[in-house]
Order: sequence, then C-alpha cells, then structure tokens
Amino acid sequence: MTVPALARRTSAEAAPAASAGRRWRWRDDLTGWAFAAPFVILFLVFLAFPIVVSFILSFTSFGLRDLQNPVGATFVGLQNYVDLLSDPKFWASLLNTVYFVVVGVPITLALGLLIANALNRGITRFRTVFRVGYYLPVITSIVAIAVVWRFLLNPDVGLINMLLASLGIKGPAWLADPALAMPSIIAMAVWRNLGFAMIVFLAGLQAIPASLYEAASIDGAGRGQSFRYVTLPMLRPTILFMTVITTIGYLQLFEEPFVMTGGGPLDRTLSVTMYMYQQGFTFFHQGYASAVAYVLFVIVAIVAFLQFKFLRSDA
Amino acid sequence: MTAIPAPTRVPAPRKGAGDHVANSSRRRSSPWVYIALTGGLVLMIGPFLWMVLGSLKPEADFLRTPPTFLPSTITTDNYGRLFDQLDFPRYFFNSAVIAFAVTAGTILFCPMLGYALAKLRWHGKGLIMGLVLATLMVPAGITLIPNFILMSNLGLVNTYPGLILPFLVGPFGVFLMRQFMYGVPNELLEAARMDGANEFRVFWSVVMPIATPVLATLAILTFLGSWNSFLYPFVMAQEPQMYTLPVALATFATGQYQADHGMLMAGSVLIVVPVLIVFVLFQRWITEGIATTGLKG
Amino acid sequence: MALRPMREPGTAGLARTARYLAMLASVALLAAACGTNSGNASPGASTGPGSQAPAISPAAELSGTLTVWAMGNEGVQLKTLADGFMKENPGVKVNVTPVDWGQAVAKLQTAIAGKQTPDVSQMGTDMMGQFAATGALEPVPANFDPSTFFEGAWNTNVINGTVYGVPWYVETRLLYYRTDIAEKAGITAAPATWEDLTTMAKAMQDKGGAKWGISLGTKNWQEYLPFLWSNGGDVVDASGKFTLNSPAAVEALTYYDSFFKDKVSPSSVPEGFDITPAFVAGTNPMFFSGPWHMGLIDAAGGAGIKGKWAVAPMPKKVTATSFVGGSNVVVYKNSKNKDAAWAFVQYLSDPQTQVAWYGDVTDLPAVQSAWTDPALAGDANVTLFGEQLKDTKAQPATATWSELATALNSTLEKMTTAGMTPQAAADEMQAEAEKIGTGN
Repeated sequence: MTVPALARRTSAEAAPAASAGRRWRWRDDLTGWAFAAPFVILFLVFLAFPIVVSFILSFTSFGLRDLQNPVGATFVGLQNYVDLLSDPKFWASLLNTVYFVVVGVPITLALGLLIANALNRGITRFRTVFRVGYYLPVITSIVAIAVVWRFLLNPDVGLINMLLASLGIKGPAWLADPALAMPSIIAMAVWRNLGFAMIVFLAGLQAIPASLYEAASIDGAGRGQSFRYVTLPMLRPTILFMTVITTIGYLQLFEEPFVMTGGGPLDRTLSVTMYMYQQGFTFFHQGYASAVAYVLFVIVAIVAFLQFKFLRSDA
Repeated sequence: MTAIPAPTRVPAPRKGAGDHVANSSRRRSSPWVYIALTGGLVLMIGPFLWMVLGSLKPEADFLRTPPTFLPSTITTDNYGRLFDQLDFPRYFFNSAVIAFAVTAGTILFCPMLGYALAKLRWHGKGLIMGLVLATLMVPAGITLIPNFILMSNLGLVNTYPGLILPFLVGPFGVFLMRQFMYGVPNELLEAARMDGANEFRVFWSVVMPIATPVLATLAILTFLGSWNSFLYPFVMAQEPQMYTLPVALATFATGQYQADHGMLMAGSVLIVVPVLIVFVLFQRWITEGIATTGLKG
Repeated sequence: MALRPMREPGTAGLARTARYLAMLASVALLAAACGTNSGNASPGASTGPGSQAPAISPAAELSGTLTVWAMGNEGVQLKTLADGFMKENPGVKVNVTPVDWGQAVAKLQTAIAGKQTPDVSQMGTDMMGQFAATGALEPVPANFDPSTFFEGAWNTNVINGTVYGVPWYVETRLLYYRTDIAEKAGITAAPATWEDLTTMAKAMQDKGGAKWGISLGTKNWQEYLPFLWSNGGDVVDASGKFTLNSPAAVEALTYYDSFFKDKVSPSSVPEGFDITPAFVAGTNPMFFSGPWHMGLIDAAGGAGIKGKWAVAPMPKKVTATSFVGGSNVVVYKNSKNKDAAWAFVQYLSDPQTQVAWYGDVTDLPAVQSAWTDPALAGDANVTLFGEQLKDTKAQPATATWSELATALNSTLEKMTTAGMTPQAAADEMQAEAEKIGTGN
C-alpha cells in the first residue's frame, strides 16, 4: 500500500464511531455494500422475494400447468381465502394445530423450568450429565425421532405397550386412536423440546443473584415460596420469550404427523403446514396452498407482535 | 493481538460443581431430586436405546408378541440392507455436502453482514437491518412454494445449489453476529487500520479470529439445522440420488418399507448418532451458545 | 432439441452412422408427434382403443442414456430387466431410479414442473388421467397393438381418445383366506356370494378361533369400489356425472360397513400395519389384496404356511367385479432419447420379458399371450387371478383422481372408524366429488 493511500485512509477512518458529522463518502458505501452483498443478494432472491411472491400467489389459482409460465397464472381475487373459510379440512388442521400449541407449549415450558430449577438449586453433582442428557433429543432429526417414536408407540411390537403389558395393562393403539393420536404427538414434542427450554431457563436462573434467595430465606421463605416470589418474577422475561419462540415453532408442526400418522386418524393430526403441503405438492393447488401458508404467517406475526409488545413493557 | 480479551457475549467457561459451594452448603440437596432427575433421564435416553437395540434385532424379533427389549441375537443385517438395497451412503454424502456448504456459507456471509451493520457506515444499512430482522420470525413454509417455482424455472430442482442456496439466508446468523460485532472494541479496528490494513483485511485478520467462539456456536447450530432439515429438501430433491438422510428415511418410513422396523431403526441411527457424537464433543459450545442467544438455528 | 447431436460419454466407441440413424429417428418421431396433435384428437373415441401416433422405425443401433423411474418393488427389481435390455442394445445405458409409491405422484408432478422428467417411467393406472392432463406424456406410437393386452388394462391408458401409455403389468384384487382356519370353522368352500362372505368371516372369528374374521381397509377406495361395481353401481355414469350416492352405492357401503359394525374387521390399525405376518399368525385370516401377497405370504410363513391358504374370486352380488390396477409405462415429451425409450417399452411388453418379470416379482403380465406360459398356467392361484381379470373395472381416468381418491378414503375412514352412517358417507362422497369435479 502506498503512503498516500495510507494517509488518505487514516484521515477518512479516523474515528468511525464518533465522527457523526463526517461527510458520507462513496467509498464507505462501497465497502459497506461489499460486505453486505453476498448475504443480501441471496436474502432478497430466496427469502424476501419469495415472501412477496407467496402473497401474490395466494390471490391466484396457480397450478401445475402455470409452472412453465408463472406470470401467466390467473388472478382469482380473494377466492382462495373465501374457499378457506368453508373448507372443513382447513379448519380441522387449524384446530389441531392450536390444540398442539395450547397443550404442548405449557407442558414443554413447565417441565423445562422444573428441570432447570432442579439442576440449578436442587443438586450439586452430575449437573453436566443431566444437562447433556436432557438436551440430547433437541439436536436430533425430527424425522428420525418420529420414526423411532412411531415404533415405540406401536400397539403390538412397541416398547410402551410392552412395558404396560408387564404391569398387566393392555395398552391402547396410541397413534391409531383418534383421541390419543394428538396427545401422543404432543408427548413426543415435549420429550424432544423440553431440553431447549431447560437450557435457556438454566441460563436465566443462573443470572438471578444468590443474595435474593438468601434474603428470602432470612425472611423465612421455603423452597416453594422462594420459587414463587424470587424465581418466577426474575425469570418473567425469559419465560415470555420462550413462550413466543416455542409457540412459533409449534405452530409450524409438520414432520411429526407427516411421519407418524400421515395426518390421521380422521384428520385428527393434520396440521396447517401439512395441509399446505398436501394442497401445494400432492394436488398442486399452489395458489390455494399459498393462502393457507399466509394464514399461518399472519398467526405467527400476531404472536411475534405480542411478544414485542410484552417484552417492551416488561424488560 | 492475542493479549486482547475476546469481547464476546458467550459466557466464560462453565463453572464446575464446586463453584456453587455458596448455594449448596446452605441447602443440602435432597436425594429425591436425584432420583426424579435420573428417572427423567431414563425417559430421555430410553428411546435412543430402543432405536439402537432395534437396529440390531433380527427380523423375527419384530414379529414376536410381546416384544423384547434386547435383541435375541445381534445382527447387522438391517444396516446391510440400508447399504445394499438402498443407497444410504449416497444420502449420507448428500446430507454431509449440503450441511458443510450451508455452514461454510453461513459463517462467512453472516459475520460479513453483521460487521457491516455494526461497524461500518453506509447508505441503506437501516433498511437492510430492518428487512433482515423482520424475517426472523417468518415461518419456513411461506417460502416453500415460491422457492420451488423459482428453482423450477432456474433449473435448480434436484441440484446441490437448489438445496444449499436458500439455507444461506437465515436471519438468525446475522442477528447473532451483529450482536457480537457491537462488542468488538473500535480501538482494535482502528489499530489495524492505522497499520494500513484495508477493511477486508481488518475483518479477516482481526475480527474473525476473535469471533471464533461465536462462529463455532453458529457453525454447529447451522450444521445441525441443515443436517436435520426436512420439508424443503423433501420438496426439492425428487430423484433418490439427491435425497438427504431425513428425506430418504421419511420416504421409506411412509412408503413401502413402513413395516421394516429394523431397517428404519438402522436408518434413524445413521442420522442421529453422528449428531450425538458431535454434540457430546462440542456440547459446551452448543448449550452455552444457545443459552446466551436464547435462540436456536 | 431432438436434432442436437448426442454427447453421452458411453457412446464413444460407436460408429458415427449409429448416431446419424438415431438423429434420423428423432426427426421421424418429431414429425409423428406433430401429426397426432393436428389430427386424431377426437374426444368421442374414448371407448375404443384410442388413437395412437404413427409407428416409428427405430434406428438399427440404439445409443445414449435412458433414465427410467419405477416405483416400489418394481423400482428395486427393474435393474435385472434393464440389464437384459442393455445386453440386446449395448449402446444404451439404462439408469433405473427407484421412486417410492407414497411419494410417486408428488415427485413426478414436481419433475414435470421442473422439466426434470425421466425418459421413461412406470405409472400407476390410477395416475394416468392426472398426468395425461399435464401434457408431459408422449402419445404411444402405432408399434403397440392394443389387442395383445388385456382390454381393461389398455383402456386405462386412453384419455380423451389418445393413448398415453403401454400396459406393463396388471393386478386385480382377490380374497386371501386361511383354509385351515376356515375348515376349523366348518367351511370348506370359498365364499361365492356376499352373504357367504359375511357368514364365513363371522365363522372364522367365532368358531375358527381367529381374533378377527377379515381385514378390510378402513380407508382404501380400492377395496370399496369392487363392492360398488359388483352391486351394479359406479363412480360416474355414462354421461360423466358422479353417482357415488346412488341406492346401489349406499347398499354397497352398508354391506362394507357391516364388517366394522359387527367387529368382524378391525376398525383401527396402527400406521405401518403389515397384514402379512398377521395373516400368517392366523389373527387376521382373510383380506382382499393383489397378487404380490402370494409371494409375501410364502416368504413370511415359510414351510409352515404351505397348503394353509388359498385365494378366491370376488364374491358375487349382481356381478363379481373386482378392481383392475397395475402399472403402465409412459414416455415423456422432454425425453431426448425417445427411440431408445420406446424400444425399452417394447422390450418390457415382450411376452418373454413379461414372463421373466413375473418370475422376478410375480407381477401379472398385461400381455395376454404370456399367460399360456407354464409358469403362470401351472399355478392354480395365479390362474384364479387370470379368471378374475376378465371381470374387472378401473377408476375413471379423470385428472382429479388423486384428489377424489383422497376424499373417498377420508369419508370411508369416517364410516368405518367413527360411526358415520353409510347414507351420510355416500352423500359426503358425492358432495366432495362434485366439488372436486373431473377436471376435464
């Protein structure tokens, strides 16, 4: 690098964070965009643009024949959304998904918090063993786990009914039973995800100063009371955040029913994402499927919006 | 340069059990907590054991009612069928290629943008930041159909680029790296600039080395996310030679091999065990990275 | 596109003339394809054998690469036939890609959409209407003579008067039953009528000691439709209107449902349930299925099951009509090697290949002359399948069949497992079908 170049650079970059009044230079823009470009280009092409396209698609009757010439798809206005309103399968899928979220999220978080609390204050040894053990399912492939659980829950050759039989109980048909299929899937989701909640809660718990607990115990608070009056209030932002993250994740339920039940029995485990897949890639009603996807998007957006509102006022 | 402490948000190495003396001396831990936690641990590990044992069972064991927990004899037939009848080595290779490519791209592009957002002044920065963060919560399903149409028209269905490119744009990585970059002291960058380094040199030789811990976390989370991803590759890989492991397993598990429990367990082992090994080796990076960021990849 | 010289690496040793001939054939084919589009698309001709593209005369020596997709077990086994074809045509390299049945429709649809089709693929007879409508299939040239195939099988390829595929193998559904359990229950003859079937199923359960009398599909249109047809009903009438809630349909559904109501047939089976071991174990001693189960039962039961089971034709009501299914072979418009593709299809429908294929995977030949071979004629059970094939029907070849099938299955499940009445089920099927339409 030549001396003039060096000099120029030094003067231009003297105090980049502080010099607010400094004139913008095209070189700064060039450098900034050069750093941003690889991600931004891919981002625009494969994420931002598709999000917009998906919205447009939901107003068309896009089908297989339109794929060769996507811009020639027929606009149908709000027809897809109107059809959705009177589509019993869509409502069933929405209801199933809400059921999964409303039951699954609290159980996942409660168990995660319970275990995190036990690890943080209940025990002194083998912490790493428990932490790693409870976290293991989180990192595994849902597809593989769903295959394993389908086999576990098999009424004839599965482990669960084998254990029940050894207690003299005749186990039910789990995934083939309309009333038990979704609870079975929830059980699996809880098993797989509670470790994630545990890890985040553990970090939150470790940030609570020990002095608070000491003060509580001087005031005569027992284990339960210090949990109620120290742990819970201190952990509120974390709990709220985890609720939102888990809810958004659970709203996108797909792999578990896809592998374990195929959406059955009687569509009791058909999720919104599964219905979108079915409409979009089995029947190739991609316009209609886009409308399904957008409804889910709006629900997720509302949940995310509520999070920001709550977190603002809270933290 | 090595003397400068890394200004990361990843906490210092985990304290051992002994560091909590203050807590534990005050409150003796009850054996019931250990018993309950151990019971829970058995429930967490049980399905994995069942999977591994199932993959070693001969076919006859799956027809026996009531079933047995242990194999009557240990056999590797199930794995043999995965390799002979089905092309599992190929699926393994595909999964690995895609996961490595996605990870490499992510740990290069995300810190680049994160650096530009946190440390550089340029027009459009606010817009890009807003756009990227706005997509943080977008459900994956929403881009599935448009990306499929796009890939069809680009002729990228059934190709590695088609399976890799859309995974390079996770907003989470940018979010994480931007947070990290804010913590990098400006003096450090200035010193390098004074020494005559251009911006790319500063980034590459100064910023990236101190970002190693957070990059490791991002790399592991990205790798796991890609290795385990299903819906998108399921749509985009139509020919079996492009299947990834989860796509192959789901296809066989819902299709003609749905009753072949032994082979399906062996397939699950092939997907799960490499990840378990990676996890146990690097568990500190993963759990602490997640605990700090509160997000998963 | 067809005129571009071929650049496949495997053809390096071939004479230049072979390539030239292949190019000529492509030109001929192109002309042929254009010919069909202009002339023969008369929609009224759907009852006849359908119009075909003019015959092609392939190059003396074929070359290039062929990608062939085949489903399920066929996909796994087809390599052996491909080897035979490559031995006869050393210039051609055939790559067989197995595709799973469960995903076959979606994968083929996306392949067409992404212009990534194979040259040749297997295609279930129930998928023909849907795929013909995409415009991705090449009409069949006149080299193939309709009269050599079973008529029902050939007709599944005729969509709006044009022939889009060549029958490969056929299957029809017969009753499998355990003769030893039947004897224990005091029954020595196969059930001839619907009443016989009910009596027999109940006896299997009550006197034969079996857990269930029969295993009927809880959500499988392929098992329900034979009862609809045998009762004189159909999915659509001659004018193309749906008749899924006709009195005949309600009666057929009532009969079908009676097995579930009386707890003779299990109304809940786990995902991934395999009937074969249950049949061998004797817990589920009767079920309807296709010819592939003959091999599966022998494989699962070994010597112990020999002589303890048999197949029987569809029991009679008005008729004794069963379902004809199976697969056709189609060639895609996007193929760059159509002459070799049709030669491969020709090879598959050669009587000798058909018999060999039966030996490999027990797929029943679609070519009638193959049935005289002792390999088939010598087996009493197989002969029964041959007899049943004379009274069979297939689902209508509508473009929307996969949706209609999903809707039928969904309603059947409501009836068999959740107590929906047969009348309500029939009405729901009819309403759903009218909503979905035929797509034509």
